[in-house]
Amino acid sequence: MPVCALNNMISVGLFTTAKLEEIDVIADEFEYAQIKAALNFGYLTRKLYVSFLERSGFPLVDVRNEVLDESFVEQCDLLHLNAFLYLPMRNDGKGNLLVAAADPMDERLQGILEIKFNSKIKLVAASDLDITWMVHKLRGEYYVKESVFSLMRKDPESSGLTTFTDAQLLFIFIAIGFALLVLTINFVNSFIFFNLFFSFVFLFSIVFKLYIALKGSKYELVEVVTKEEVKAVKNDTLPVYTILLPVYKEDKLIRKLIWNLRSLDYPRGKLDVKLLIEEDDDKTLNAVRNLDFPANFETIVVPFHMPKTKPKACNYGLFFCKGIYLTIYDAEDVPDSDQLKKVVSLFRKLPKDYVVLQGALNYFNKNENLLTRMFTLEYSYWFDYMLPGLQSLDVPIPLGGTSNHFKLDKLKELGGWDPFNVTEDADLGVRVFEKRYKVGVVNSTTLEEANNEPFNWIRQRSRWIKGYMQTLLVHMRNPVRLVNKIGWRGFFGFNFFVGFTPITFLLYPVLLGFYIIYIIFDLQTVRILFPDWVLYISIFNFVAGNTLMIYVNMLAVFKRRFYELILFALVNPFYWLMHSIAAYKGLWQLIYKPFYWEKTNHGLTKMSHSSSAAAAANANEV
Amino acid sequence: MKFKSQQLRVVSLLLVIYYLILAWMFNRTGYEHSERLFYAEKLKLLFEYSENTLLTLGTTFPTTSFLINVIFAPFGYLFAPVASSIVLMSFLFFFMAKDINGSGLPARTMIISLMALFLLHPQFIFAATSGRNIAAIMLFTYLLFRSLFFYYKNQTTYYLSLASLYLGALIFSEIKFLWLILGFLPFVVLVSIEGIKTAKGEPVVFQYYQALNNRSLRRKLVNRTVSLYFILYLLPLAAVFLFRVLNQSHAGDPTYFLSSQYSNWRVTGVSTITNILERGSGDNLSKQTQIIFPLFTIFLAPIFISAMILFKGKLYELLTIFTPLIFTSIVLIDIQYYLTTEYFVIIPVLSFVALNFASGIKLNRFMSSVILLAGTGLTLLGGLYYFKETSDFDEQRFVKMVTDTPSWFATKKNSEEKILADYIGSVKSADRPVLIDDAAAYGVVAHLPNLEGLVMPLQKNFITVIENPALSVEYILIAKRHNLKHNFTAMNAYNMIVMRDRLNLRSNRVFETENWIVYSIR
Repeated sequence: MPVCALNNMISVGLFTTAKLEEIDVIADEFEYAQIKAALNFGYLTRKLYVSFLERSGFPLVDVRNEVLDESFVEQCDLLHLNAFLYLPMRNDGKGNLLVAAADPMDERLQGILEIKFNSKIKLVAASDLDITWMVHKLRGEYYVKESVFSLMRKDPESSGLTTFTDAQLLFIFIAIGFALLVLTINFVNSFIFFNLFFSFVFLFSIVFKLYIALKGSKYELVEVVTKEEVKAVKNDTLPVYTILLPVYKEDKLIRKLIWNLRSLDYPRGKLDVKLLIEEDDDKTLNAVRNLDFPANFETIVVPFHMPKTKPKACNYGLFFCKGIYLTIYDAEDVPDSDQLKKVVSLFRKLPKDYVVLQGALNYFNKNENLLTRMFTLEYSYWFDYMLPGLQSLDVPIPLGGTSNHFKLDKLKELGGWDPFNVTEDADLGVRVFEKRYKVGVVNSTTLEEANNEPFNWIRQRSRWIKGYMQTLLVHMRNPVRLVNKIGWRGFFGFNFFVGFTPITFLLYPVLLGFYIIYIIFDLQTVRILFPDWVLYISIFNFVAGNTLMIYVNMLAVFKRRFYELILFALVNPFYWLMHSIAAYKGLWQLIYKPFYWEKTNHGLTKMSHSSSAAAAANANEV
Repeated sequence: MKFKSQQLRVVSLLLVIYYLILAWMFNRTGYEHSERLFYAEKLKLLFEYSENTLLTLGTTFPTTSFLINVIFAPFGYLFAPVASSIVLMSFLFFFMAKDINGSGLPARTMIISLMALFLLHPQFIFAATSGRNIAAIMLFTYLLFRSLFFYYKNQTTYYLSLASLYLGALIFSEIKFLWLILGFLPFVVLVSIEGIKTAKGEPVVFQYYQALNNRSLRRKLVNRTVSLYFILYLLPLAAVFLFRVLNQSHAGDPTYFLSSQYSNWRVTGVSTITNILERGSGDNLSKQTQIIFPLFTIFLAPIFISAMILFKGKLYELLTIFTPLIFTSIVLIDIQYYLTTEYFVIIPVLSFVALNFASGIKLNRFMSSVILLAGTGLTLLGGLYYFKETSDFDEQRFVKMVTDTPSWFATKKNSEEKILADYIGSVKSADRPVLIDDAAAYGVVAHLPNLEGLVMPLQKNFITVIENPALSVEYILIAKRHNLKHNFTAMNAYNMIVMRDRLNLRSNRVFETENWIVYSIR
């Protein structure tokens, strides 16, 4: 039987045969080198392994600074390089091909390479992370280009590469021109018309949201998967489950990430976890390297290519996935421990056309400050009420950023995520619907870190709102085609929900401004623009709109019993002003930097999930 | 036995036909309720008048009933209020009958009892055929309490939100139902304890003892209670606030919708205690005192007692059923009007909420049926007694019409308003306009074939015209001194004398009815 480093570690008492047997099973299933399975499935710490190699006479070479003969690398496939963690470097001048390998004692690998290169192979030790970094950088070009351009090639109509089509630009300029023209010809009547039109759009959008929230509140207590069903799931029947963790400069969160992954109730050997790191993100790579305990994820380095967006990284990760199902988490996410089992159980119950299940998102630091409270209210109504409401109406569901669980083959069939869309998840939700597949909602929650800093919040929100605008522009390029694909109900649902959301935020300060102008400057000149009947309708729409939005936020507290937050819903009009600032920033970026990914800083909270859980437990004590 | 929705729809439709026949017969006798005429006139102004349309639409109160009437306006302005009442009553019947399926009581007895009430109970018939807004009040009362009981059963916020919407609709059907909010205060606290996981299975008092003596539980209890209050009350209260703001901005008075005779029928239509006492009319008014009044409403609807005997539920469910009694007690504070049918008829409606959602068989099925049927029979008698002793003048006219059975089959009679409108319609024209104040004469306007040749308060020149009518109009309509609406209009007998003296007005009495005179002033 071929020997590898792990066998040698057993002989010196640093490893156990039982673990190696488990590793063999994983390595066979995933078609990985044993050392890769050991380092990425939580069996071995890198530090221990490196010290063993050094003591065994295999000091690590720094492959990132070694001289390389790229002609050898070009003969290798990235998937194989990545799976067996090696990098052909150069001839050593003595008839040997020098190959850097994570496991320089791997006899099987040596045999394979000798046949492949028809040469004697000399394996030298190198860090698995450096090898990964190098092989992706050198051989990842095809895959990263595919990640960026594949959707555009397969389905150009759905790609966000073109932000505004010619027809859309023409329509926008004609609309603006027409507005200016009528304002010039008859300012007062035109102003009154626009004021009323926008104020009705505002009210209608909010009434629609209330309607969906009420529909959703019907399913408040529905458990699509019960605890008993989860218990009944047998581990040996579970499929391999891929988790994508796209990160960028999240070095502080790596430890936390490992703890959160460990708390998942899913067989370790069936979790295919991919940490997607950008090529220039040495901070995170070094954080992984310096871990004191075994990592339970595989690191994938995404080679540099514009646009530098999360969907591009996820698309790249797709090439290396082994799972039947796939989900995405952010680094700071704390999913319910039984979430994956619930998803598997629900997918088994649902008809085959359900290809995505969205889990609920919420926050563990909800009581940190006013902003986190408002954010918690918003997420609660969104995920606990709006999504079930949209599902019941059978209209497109914009997916949330994380905790969306896909059938991997269907995700690939859909073309993955649009790398040019900064809310790729919302866009994908619409594309799923367009292909006549369905999105379901699973009764499981992932706790995230609520943004607790206003400027950071505006950055994040501006990206979201910009993404909604992009999604609207992409899918409304040809409204007739969209109606044919998703029907009238889906068409209206999409426009009211995805389209009206940014429009409402853009209109809000305008309408508020009109109202304030009227209140403060109750002048005859202003009154010309606000005849009694206009004023009547404007006041009605504005006050009713705000009240209903406050009400929708208040509804949000019930499912999770966050009753202490209900009074904060009254602050919603101010929270909406922050949305408006973000919306205008998003609009600006849509024009000037459509693909720019506004990075949200994580790890700003002073609260941890465990401390908030302990606080909640104390509160529950009788 | 379960009733299928299809069967119930058919019965509801038959009920519509039954009420339509009754309404047609009553109409033939010349009976027209003043509230019906009020709505009809507002509909006419809304659809046929170009000035101040928004004022009519936005300030006419009760808003819910008026907006429902707008839907039925294509069937004729005068018929719309009756049609909407009939349809709302059939909806009410449908929901009540449908909910019988969930009741623990014998379904057949329940449906017999329900049919008896809808077919024979005088207040139910009055609600359906008079064109008043009672049907809306009954329907929204039932839907409100039904939603609350659904909430108790399912604990989903959906039903609580629905309850909030129905409470809003009810308040905008009759503003006094705002006081239900006070009635709900205590039971919401009791509902809250359900969500707090403490001393399950123990008596409620013990649960409270535990909850209030533990800091964490106390906080939870308070938070949950406050949340329930918000979800239940925010929409109706915000709607009232918004309506006040709109009235302020549009009419310059936040309570315009309550105090103006142009926007609210109740200002002129409901019999005041002073008027009733002056005329010594009906004995019901004497029961309109604290303690007595809630008991009197139950006395007239013994089906409520049946529901209490058959009650099987929790304390807060019982309190919910009693809420309207708390409400009627609160309403009596500082009341200057006689409380008409709607305050009585909600009791049998509430009884059916209790029977459908919180009742079960006591003793045995037969005895339960007997209790229910006895309650129903006595409630029918209670309805008759109410009308026999009613103090409201419009209701007395209804009783007089119903008891005068020969008039049902005699040749069709016209009401006073119709006769007057026919005359005015025959003389008015663009050259010979008529000055008319619809604050009191809305019934006449409702009957007019069109609004051409009229000068009314909605018009900008009304004030100018009334200063010297002879310059602008040919005729004026004046309310006589004993007209009950005499004090609510500027066009009354007193002002006629003043005008004659001040302007040296030459006036000829050209047409006269019991309450009105038409003068020619040119």
